[in-house]
Amino acid sequence: MDSSHHTGMSHMDHNTTVSHAHGGHDSMMMPMTFYFGFKNVELLFSGLVINTAGEMAGAFVAVFLLAMFYEGLKIARESLLRKSQVSIRYNSMPVPGPNGTILMETHKTVGQQMLSFPHLLQTVLHIIQVVISYFLMLIFMTYNGYLCIAVAAGAGTGYFLFSWKKAVVVDITEHCH
Amino acid sequence: MHFIFSDEVVLLFNFWNVHSPTGMALSVLVVLLMAVLYEGIKVGKVKLLYQALASLPTPTHQQQFIEETDGESIGSDLLPDSRTRLRWFLCHFGQSLIHVAQVVIGYFMMLAVMSYNTWIFLGVVLGSAVGYYLAYPLLSMA
Repeated sequence: MDSSHHTGMSHMDHNTTVSHAHGGHDSMMMPMTFYFGFKNVELLFSGLVINTAGEMAGAFVAVFLLAMFYEGLKIARESLLRKSQVSIRYNSMPVPGPNGTILMETHKTVGQQMLSFPHLLQTVLHIIQVVISYFLMLIFMTYNGYLCIAVAAGAGTGYFLFSWKKAVVVDITEHCH
Repeated sequence: MHFIFSDEVVLLFNFWNVHSPTGMALSVLVVLLMAVLYEGIKVGKVKLLYQALASLPTPTHQQQFIEETDGESIGSDLLPDSRTRLRWFLCHFGQSLIHVAQVVIGYFMMLAVMSYNTWIFLGVVLGSAVGYYLAYPLLSMA
């Protein structure tokens, strides 16, 4: 349009009029297949646009660290939960066993008080975990190949680093990681 | 954006272009198998961990593994053998690769559902159901 626009934004020549007229409405330009590129990549927030290879490298590192932090947060919450188990109740009840004998089956219940500090801390960490997991989902939803690889690699590295010690303590009842 | 019944969809990659009912049926089958694989990987990861723990050299030390929290690292005094440490490292590295596969397949399934095609969505749901049905009994098997 004007020369003032031209000097400032040389990358988005064909987008200048569109964004100027519609105020940033671009939901039709969301890709639906994987691509590799670093021009005009919007990342999560409206001001965060990647235009150069350097910015893409920075975004790669940031997303990688975010995915690693997410895995670490999962492990940390689990270990915090184990440490703060307050009450353990044992319930025994008779059940019929083989050969007509009566066996005593013992159920163990671990619990937490609702208004205790560990539970409030768990809740706050849970909210952070949910938000970060949605951010990672939205990042993967940009369909940008570099960012998706960053998410996957960060998750793998985070799992490798933080589950190393956790793998030593195995809870038989947990199987939905 | 809403769910539509359609025989045309582009799924995940530029070359995965579906225009016909046959192509759609095939795509639904592929997505279904992907969901079955995802559930299988979840169970497989846990079973691999059990196997690795079971193959550790001394059973008495294994008891201590289950009871300790996070005070000691695995290499301090319970696994002095460097060959065993290497085996544990390789096993954990393999588990991390399986975890990466699980994350990637999970996101692929999310993106497939995001195409807002009802057939694909039903394929994902059915695949998850079949995968869970087939895989979880294997978890409680020794």
